[in-house]
Parts: sequence; structure tokens; C-alpha cells
Amino acid sequence: MTTAVSSPVANGRDVDRQWAVETHGLVKRFDDNVAVNGVELLVPRGCAFGYLGPNGAGKTTLIRVLLGLTRADAGTMSLLGYPVPEQRAVALARVGAIVDEPRFHSHLTGRQNLQILAAARERAARDRIAPSLERVGLQHRANDKVAKYSMGMRQRLGVAACLLGDPELLILDEPMNGLDPAGMRDMRDMILSLVAEGRTVVLSSHLLDEVERTCDAVAIVDRGNVIRQGSIAELLAGASVELQIECSDPDGARRILEATKLGTSVEVGPNGLEAKLPLGTGRDAIAEVNRQLVEAGISVYRLQEVQASLESWFLQVTSRLGSSE
Amino acid sequence: MTAAPIASPAPGIVGGAPDPPKDHRGSWVPTLSLITTRIMEIRKRRGLMIALIVVNIGIPGIFLTVRLLAHAFAPKSFGPAGGYSVFTGLVAGLMYVFGFIVAAVVGCSAGSTDLTDGMFRHLVVTGRSRLALYLARIPAGLAVVLPIVAGGFAMVCVVCVLAAPTVDSFDGVSMPAGLTLNGFEHWVLAHPNKALCNFNYSNINNVGCGGPSVRIKPGSPPPPGQPTPAQVRAALISVAEQNYQSYSYTFLKPPGSLMIDTGLWILLEATIGFIVGLGLSSLLGQRTIAVVLMIVLELILTPIFSRAHIPHFINFQRGIVGLAMAHIEPPALPLAFGGDMNGGSRAMQIVPESTEVAIIVIVAWLVFWTVIGGWRMVKRDA
Repeated sequence: MTTAVSSPVANGRDVDRQWAVETHGLVKRFDDNVAVNGVELLVPRGCAFGYLGPNGAGKTTLIRVLLGLTRADAGTMSLLGYPVPEQRAVALARVGAIVDEPRFHSHLTGRQNLQILAAARERAARDRIAPSLERVGLQHRANDKVAKYSMGMRQRLGVAACLLGDPELLILDEPMNGLDPAGMRDMRDMILSLVAEGRTVVLSSHLLDEVERTCDAVAIVDRGNVIRQGSIAELLAGASVELQIECSDPDGARRILEATKLGTSVEVGPNGLEAKLPLGTGRDAIAEVNRQLVEAGISVYRLQEVQASLESWFLQVTSRLGSSE
Repeated sequence: MTAAPIASPAPGIVGGAPDPPKDHRGSWVPTLSLITTRIMEIRKRRGLMIALIVVNIGIPGIFLTVRLLAHAFAPKSFGPAGGYSVFTGLVAGLMYVFGFIVAAVVGCSAGSTDLTDGMFRHLVVTGRSRLALYLARIPAGLAVVLPIVAGGFAMVCVVCVLAAPTVDSFDGVSMPAGLTLNGFEHWVLAHPNKALCNFNYSNINNVGCGGPSVRIKPGSPPPPGQPTPAQVRAALISVAEQNYQSYSYTFLKPPGSLMIDTGLWILLEATIGFIVGLGLSSLLGQRTIAVVLMIVLELILTPIFSRAHIPHFINFQRGIVGLAMAHIEPPALPLAFGGDMNGGSRAMQIVPESTEVAIIVIVAWLVFWTVIGGWRMVKRDA
């Protein structure tokens, strides 16, 4: 199912349809603290995009700036091709978002909270209350007060609130927080189904495993800067190759790999020799390692390339950044 | 908990956002649906609604019920439940002050609830104008507050009219109510001893209470040292003229015009309380301090600055909304924040101010706090 969208026009010209979110040189300061530092971000349409960073990296601040919850100090940005804040109202008509922990009027029911939010949107939003509640699995608890909701139910209600506007773009800030494993799986499935409908989902999270399972592309943010962005496959292709080697003489093998500079980091661990090959190393380098060891008279019992995960790559990137400073 | 698969597509969620030209969510004018949902949000605050009803309906209701029962069981010991004096005392002594405070509390809640409950950012993300979100609270809050204030006032009016005394009492003398000046003079001439012995008067030579019985017999000369009938008649007419103004403020039951004027005045006071509370709490971003400030304004600052004539500070005092409200208070009521039954004494009790200035001050307060609250909600980080 794809989203049928009329061609938007900004300032009399066709808007850029390529990017769901586009920022250039975005800056947000809180006194002396630069929370968002010249962020250049391009989020392609129709994908699940992970926005990753450690706590305090500026993820939520960037989202708040994008949504007009707080003002940028410098830079330009657009949502769905509409410049923000100039055409903020038009852009946000097509956006649904959860920012921080989803909180609602606790003395009202879930349905009544959605009625308030639907009233702030277009007329058709009122007709979407029941389908939204059904989609997030809250239809049987919709008439309970939010005060009785668990954290996971409030997350679901937040997603239902996002769906009221039939959004092209959903921005979800830590949507997995407070969810049990089944709830996380349901949330992941829902995000994937939303993307399958042609919507764009920006997922801000520190749960790397969930992002890797859910998203097509990611941006890594640290200390207010986007330090890497692209598809997960492309980014991981740029990660260093790690080998696990089981051989007859691990210490000898370590000396050979260090002497030949085939490995950037070689250690003897419980699973044998663990060696990291330089960035951009191809499969030929793995064969060369094997050849060098065999020619040195070391018996190689097992030589296995360890697939880089988003988590290991994230730690690699952020730790390198940290050590360079 | 998950009865339906969370990932199942639902009807209505099929894409197709509204056309930009038809979307007026950037407009500052609140829509009817925005207002009605805000009404729902306030009405569902149980504690707030209970306080609103208790103060405006419950307390006057209990007071009148006790008086009704007391009068029913011991009519000689307890006067009627209703009547003019009960009406004026109840309205100016209770409903005015506490109606303002409760309306202010509702306003403070309406101005801060979205912020404290975390709903403000949900609402801002809809793209709806922040000013429209703010302005929607004004008709919504007034739609909740004013009917309850009006309901309580209507109850007081009904009881005071239906349970009014059948005989008027002026300075302890039972007499007909609603007499004109001419009728009042006739009554005084017909009851000279009651008038001379009970009414307040001054400067009547040789005529007074406690002396020989005053009789007016045309043609018969008075005993030596006694006033002539013409002197007595002139003295009684003077007594009637001196007392008529006070008498004219005593009624068996509150007149319709007074009830209408008082009702409008009470509703205006509640409106001011709500709007100032809304603006102040929107400015501060929280309820408690705003409520405390409103109570201090009404119970402490207004009475002090309305009575004290402070040189070089008088124009500031004139800018206090409570003083302005006191100046447009229906003249038949006692001074709202304490004082004698009015008449000509009100202007002497409080800082003088013309009616025009009082109206300007009231309008300025309503506009200022609406603007300042709206400005803060537009500029605030969500």
C-alpha cells in the first residue's frame, strides 16, 4: 500500500520530493552547551531511518527543533520538502511524532486524549481514532483512563496519536522504551508495516539491535554532530574485518600478523586468535593471512570472518571519535 | 492485551494528507471542535469541578437550607431564609470573592495543564497554531465556569425571592416596603412616635422621642413648651427626608433590576478571575504559584490598595482590577471586600475612580493577560 500524495508546492516551486527530512548546518544552543552542532542530515523517503547516538548526544533536541518544539539558532531544514519553520503547519499536517516519553492527560481515557489531538488536526482525523486504536491494539482499553495505562500502553497510544494525521513521516523518539519483548516485536512489526505502506519512519534510539533489525539506513550522532550516515549495508561494509583464528601456535601467529601488518589489532582470546584487519580490506587479505600462517608452519584449524554488527561498528566509530579528541 | 495484531492495516490509515491550500491549521482562530474538546478536558477534572460546584452552589445552598429549616422550625427566633438583606450579604460577602478565586483556579489549571501533563508538545506537533490552542481555552473555560456561577447565583435569587419576609423592617420598625418618598412621608406622619423613637435624625427643635405624646390636632393650641402641630409636621417630614435614602435600600426581596445587575457583575468577576488565571499560569508554566498569586491579589492586595490612599501611588492603585470592579459594583450591595452598607459612603471608603476609568482598567486587564499568556505559549519551548 503506498501513500498517495499530491505534489506539494513551496513558494511557487515544486518541493524536493527526495528527502523526508533535510537539514543543513543546523545549530541549537542552550547557553554555552551546543546540543545540535551544524547537523547535516538527509533522510530518504519511504524507509525506516535510525537516528542513533549515546545518551546526551542531541538526538531528542534535533527532533524537537525539526518539529518546531524549540527554535534553531542557525541552519535550514525541511520536512517532506516543505521549509520549516516557514511552512511548518503544512509540513506537520503530514507528520506524526512521539517526542520523549509519551505523556497524556491522565484523568482522561485514551480515546478522549485522541479526541483532543484529532480536534487539533483536520476534520478527517476524528474518523481515524478508532482505526488508530485498533491498529495499536488498544481498542479494548480505549475507554480506560490513561492513569491506568502501563508505559507500553502509553507508547502505543503515542503511536495511535501519530496515526491520526495519516502521516507520510513518523518521527518516533525511543518508541521501544518500556516495552516488554513481545511489545518490542509488535512495535517493530508495526514500524515495518508503516514503511511498507510508503511512509517514512525516523526512529531515534539507543537500542542498536532493534535499529539494525528495523531500519534501512542510519545516522550516528555524537555530541551534537552527525558523524556518519547512510544505509546500514554501506556503513557496515566500511567497518573493519574481524577474524577468529584457531591454530596450533596462537602466539606465533600473533607475531607473524603483527610483523606483516596484516592485522591492526591482534589478541589471543578464549576463542583463539582475534585479529582485526584494516578498513577496506577485501577477501584476498583473509586468504593472505591463511597463506602466511601456513607458510610459517602453523596449522590453521579454523579461520572465520566475524560479521560486523551495527553495535560493534557504532562502538568502533564512537570510540574512535572519542580517542581522537 | 494485544487483541488485534498491531501491524494489521486499519481502515482509514491509507495515506493521502490534506491539500495545503484547504488546511487552515495555521490560523489563530480556534475551531469549534478544538473548543469542545477543551471543555471536555476541563469538565473531566473531578476535583476542580467539585471545588467549583461546592463554592458556587454548595456553600450558598447549605447556608440557605439551614436558614430555611431554622425559620421553619423556629420562626420567632430565626428570620426568613431569603429576602433583600440575605441576598446582598451572600452575593457581596461570599459569591463575589470565592467565585473569583475558584474561577481563577480553573483558569490556572486550563493554562498549565497541557504543559504539566505533557500534552502541549503533542498538540504543537499537529501543526495547529499555538495561538489557536491557547485561545480555545478561553471560551472553553468560560463555558464551564460561567454556567456554574450563574447556576449558584440563580439559586440564591430564587430562594431570596421565594423565602423573603412578608413585612419589611426598617430600623427595627415593621412597615410597608417599597414606598415612594411621598408614601414614606405619609407613613411617618401617621406613625410619629415610631418614627421619632426609632429612626435616625438630627436638628429637629423641640420634637423628640420620650416626651409627651405627639398629637397633631389642627385648631387646638399646644400646651406651653410643646411644639405646634405645624412644627411637629415639619419635623416629621424632615425625619422622613433624612431617612428615605436608607429606607429606599431596604426591600422585602431583591428587585429584578438589582438581581440582573448583580448577576452580570458576578459573571464579569468570574470572567476576570478565569482569564487572569489563564494568562498568569500560561506565563509561569505551572499552576500552584499562579493560584497563590491570584489568592493574594484578591484577598490581600485588593482590599489594602483599595482602601489605603497612598500619595504618589494612587494611579497604580487605580490600576488594580478589584478596585475597578468595586466601582462598578451595583450600588445597593455592600462593598465586596468588606465595608458598610453603601449609599453615599462607598466613594469615601475606597480610592476614588471614575466609572470610565474603571471600565478601561477592566478591559485592559482582560486584554493584557490574554495577550501575555498567548505570547508565552507561542514563544515557549514545548
